[in-house]
Amino acid sequence: MLEVSRLSHGFGRRPPLWEIPHLRWDGRSLVHLRGDNGSGKTTLLRLLAGLDTPRRGTIRWTLDDGAPAAPPRFGDLLYLHQQPYLFDTSVAGNLRHVARWQGWRGDDARSRIASMLARCGLADHARQHARSLSGGERMRLALARAWLLSPRVLLLDEPTASLDRQAIDDITALILSLRETGCAIVLSAHQQSVLTERCDAEWHLERGGLQVGDMQADITETWPLGVNS
Amino acid sequence: MNELMATMGKALHLLVSFDPALWEIIGVSFRVSLTAILVALPPALLVALVLARVAFPGRWLAISLVNTFMAVPTVVVGLVLFMLLSRSGPLGEWQLLFTQRAMVIGQIILASPILIAMLHSSLQSIDQRAWETARQLGAGRLQAFAMLIHEARFGVIAAVLAAFGRIIAEVGSAVMIGGNIEHFTRTITTAIALETLKGEFAQGIALGMVLLLLALLLNVLLGVMRGRGQQIVSA
Repeated sequence: MLEVSRLSHGFGRRPPLWEIPHLRWDGRSLVHLRGDNGSGKTTLLRLLAGLDTPRRGTIRWTLDDGAPAAPPRFGDLLYLHQQPYLFDTSVAGNLRHVARWQGWRGDDARSRIASMLARCGLADHARQHARSLSGGERMRLALARAWLLSPRVLLLDEPTASLDRQAIDDITALILSLRETGCAIVLSAHQQSVLTERCDAEWHLERGGLQVGDMQADITETWPLGVNS
Repeated sequence: MNELMATMGKALHLLVSFDPALWEIIGVSFRVSLTAILVALPPALLVALVLARVAFPGRWLAISLVNTFMAVPTVVVGLVLFMLLSRSGPLGEWQLLFTQRAMVIGQIILASPILIAMLHSSLQSIDQRAWETARQLGAGRLQAFAMLIHEARFGVIAAVLAAFGRIIAEVGSAVMIGGNIEHFTRTITTAIALETLKGEFAQGIALGMVLLLLALLLNVLLGVMRGRGQQIVSA
């Protein structure tokens, strides 16, 4: 469960990019965060991930019926950069780093890494240097690294930007598989795609506010209230 | 000309015949300089990381100070340490003057600014996403720090090579606080100075050859490391 209250953020002395008086999300769905370039999608995702501190307002996450936290433990909640940073090692080496940080050793670590590489279609690239991968493969590796941690919530920043059709289909399939494991996902995208069409809800950053829409039920709330009325 | 050629020949003979006196001097030089680098490296890494990643008031002043200390003459370091460590000095009780430990301290002081400046530049060039990604994927602060060093490893090696090249070739501090004592604190550079004054050129030339070879090797390695480091940053 995510609860946002009186949130606003901006840079320097400029006026805030947007203001969100209140936002409540059950943390169980696949959400499309929509907005034009420069509307503040990345800023909002980074704030939700706890990577930046908001100028004003509070963000509280409640995961696994635990106490509300701002932000929750890294690993439960993960933000993936639009251009994921891949460590300077092989594809498998990138996953080995994560396994080591989790304290997994020996056969346990090897089997987890091998099955994740296979699941993400990267088994044939295991020994390839991570930075020699194509854009779509880089995103798949970033998702594989995140998936190793079985996160509760994933915040994906433009995961299909500048990818070709095939790569978008591959990433879409992976994200939907992740969704099926119970991982809630917020993904930003400024254009519609096969991926955004599969989302359960839409958050639309527009004119300094956030519209929250349930794509299945066609219910729309607008924050701040009155902006679009 | 014949005399010069003969001296060169004697110098080469001393080197290839593994003259014990010559190689003992080379051994002292390497032991002192390697110890100084090993001791100076961990704190230099920590300071460089703080300067590269933590915004605090006066950060740019601190960086300017580090850059200024890179230009401090070796004899000035030798002079200050001599005054501190001499019997009547504030640290005279430690009885370190004219010991290898004192030389190590001098070389740590000389190596640290180079290490910090080069490590700072190297760590600063690593993408901010590296730290965020490591932390989000479960790395603790120390593990994320180790990851940053791994990502900047070519820059780290280049910094170590540059600092090592500077301290093994310095003479001012070594002669003032080491005292050039045979079998104990005589290093390549202090021996060259002493042998030249005595008119014995062969050993000096042989030791000079070692320094030149070392300089060549370090510069080739530095070039390789810089090239690889730039590849990483641009990847």
